[in-house]
Amino acid sequence: MTAYFIRRFLLIVPTFLGITILIFVITRFVPGGPIERIIAQAQQQALEGGGTAVSETVQRQPLSDDQIDLLKKYYGFDKPVLVSYVTWLGKLVRGDLGISTRYYDPVWEMIRERIPISLYFGLLTLIATYGVCIPLGIAKAIRHKSAFDDASSVLVFVGYAIPGWVAGILMILVFSSHWELFPLGELVGENFETMSLWEKALDLAWHSMLPLMAYLIGAFSFMTFLMKNTLMDNLAADYVRTAMAKGLTFRRAVFGHALRNSLIPIATTFGNNISVILSGSFLVEKVFNIDGMGLLGYESVVERDYPVVMGVLAISSMLFLVGNILSDMCVAAVDPRVKFE
Amino acid sequence: MSISSLTIKKLKRFHAIKRGYYAFVLLVAMILASLGAELLVSNRALIVHYQDNWYFPTYGDIIPGKAFGLDYDYETNYRDLADQFQSQNAGSWVLMPPVPYSPFENDLRPDILPPEPPSTQRRHYLGTDTSGRDVLARLVYGFRIAILFSLGLLMATYAVGISIGCAMGYYGGWFDILLQRIIEIWSTVPFLYVVIIISSIAVPNFWWLIAIMVIFGWMGVTWTIRTVTYKEKERDYVLAAKALGASDLRIIFRHILPNTVSIIVTYIPFSISGGIVALTSLDYLGFGLPPPTPSWGELLQQAWANFSAWWIGFSVIAAMVVTLVAVTFVGEAVREAFDPKMHTVYE
Repeated sequence: MTAYFIRRFLLIVPTFLGITILIFVITRFVPGGPIERIIAQAQQQALEGGGTAVSETVQRQPLSDDQIDLLKKYYGFDKPVLVSYVTWLGKLVRGDLGISTRYYDPVWEMIRERIPISLYFGLLTLIATYGVCIPLGIAKAIRHKSAFDDASSVLVFVGYAIPGWVAGILMILVFSSHWELFPLGELVGENFETMSLWEKALDLAWHSMLPLMAYLIGAFSFMTFLMKNTLMDNLAADYVRTAMAKGLTFRRAVFGHALRNSLIPIATTFGNNISVILSGSFLVEKVFNIDGMGLLGYESVVERDYPVVMGVLAISSMLFLVGNILSDMCVAAVDPRVKFE
Repeated sequence: MSISSLTIKKLKRFHAIKRGYYAFVLLVAMILASLGAELLVSNRALIVHYQDNWYFPTYGDIIPGKAFGLDYDYETNYRDLADQFQSQNAGSWVLMPPVPYSPFENDLRPDILPPEPPSTQRRHYLGTDTSGRDVLARLVYGFRIAILFSLGLLMATYAVGISIGCAMGYYGGWFDILLQRIIEIWSTVPFLYVVIIISSIAVPNFWWLIAIMVIFGWMGVTWTIRTVTYKEKERDYVLAAKALGASDLRIIFRHILPNTVSIIVTYIPFSISGGIVALTSLDYLGFGLPPPTPSWGELLQQAWANFSAWWIGFSVIAAMVVTLVAVTFVGEAVREAFDPKMHTVYE
């Protein structure tokens, strides 16, 4: 089994290279990159500065060829795609993600600033999801086909059907705009700096309430039904019938026998949580104006800030790939029957 | 094609699941209504009776105002025409659709700035959006585009997914291993991310957007079909067919594929809701179909930017909830009917 996991870890390398090359090549051929933006800015300045007296050539091309070559060199656009990809990769290996072409900040700094925010929501969502879904799934499995089961199924389905960010817009409309119970977005209030510790905590909780709900709405359904269905499969298994037949109470048969085996599929998804924690949905973050990793990645795509695009992608795909392997390790750890060869 | 008794049994089981069945009826009704949306929501009249002539302007070329004795050559404004005929009281009349506005028409008035709240008197039943277009009209046509987009995407994705998936599962070997790696890379690429990058180069049209989304979204179906084919291939009936001398193509199309249909069917409703959500998300971000295409995502963007115009947000979210919940209920019922799990219940 150790050999299997070593092989899996080694396979990360080609997959990671594949993903990053793909995106790198795409970003290279998308027009509107940093050089085009600087040309546009220069045009703007020339127009504003010179008024109507600007000559035709300046309007069309404000920078000389030398200047453009210099810019290309600065952004590494003067070399062929693969050469500059290898340069990027070499820097990445040394822990250097490059410098944002929009803010001229180091990319790693920008990402590091966002990590706590995404981590905060990721962890809260994670805890709330497991905390609600496991008990709810158990209750639904035990009372299968009861009124409680049907009613909660409808609720969970409705939550599954609506994307979290749409629910977020609805909640803002109802709770923030109409009833003014919650803020309209952002993570903390305006005078957060001047508050006492207790007020800060309250303010943060008040601001996090709606985004957290938006995150949770989508996460509930999958886990709840996974829990319910596996527990029901196990309840139908012979060993539970045997346990009941030898005189155990239903409660002890469920919690002592069936439940333990039903947690295995839940464990299979556990490893992927490390990427959930850091990625965050950019749609939810956009709706609530939360400056997390998702929004950073989204804005960098929109603004053609390629070093940031590549940096966010490198980190999130690495987490995803490692997460997949961790999931398999969790399965192997909880279920002795599973053998990976 | 004959329907096997097994399929009839499945369809009966689906019919017996009331929640899913009624959701299905509702959805079909909504789709049919949206296909004939011009008869319900349009600024063209259904029937015009003018000087003993009958006109049906809904479909076909525009009828210039001159045809009705008006003094202009562009398309007739039927709402004004209706008012005019009524005041003339000369036996001419106009029958307008229930919602007399087109989704592209800016109904601007000198005294009110859009967005305008709902008003039955103005026949803007759900109000107007920020540029004075009727919200209900945009909702209806937006639904039509979203559902057609979703169905088109579904067919394209499944065509690609089933072909590649079947080949992977059936032939196996290096072909399978190579494609497995490609799928792993491809599915790690953040989907919306790439679509945004690509659609920011050139504003995509309907078919382009479907093509882009198929290129980056074929992996899920492929993987499922691969697994199913892989399992089916090992069954005795395939071996028997092979022993009888059936060709690979015959085995795949006549024997294996029919056995995978019941599994494919259970994924379809979820693909449809996925397609609608993906299009709406892209439109919301401004990377979907180009304006002024009526779209739910664009309305959501307006709702998000104008909280005071609550009618925009509530209408579009209500429409989304009804549609997506109905699709999900259908999906759950289909899954239960086609892939039933019988459970033991302890008393």
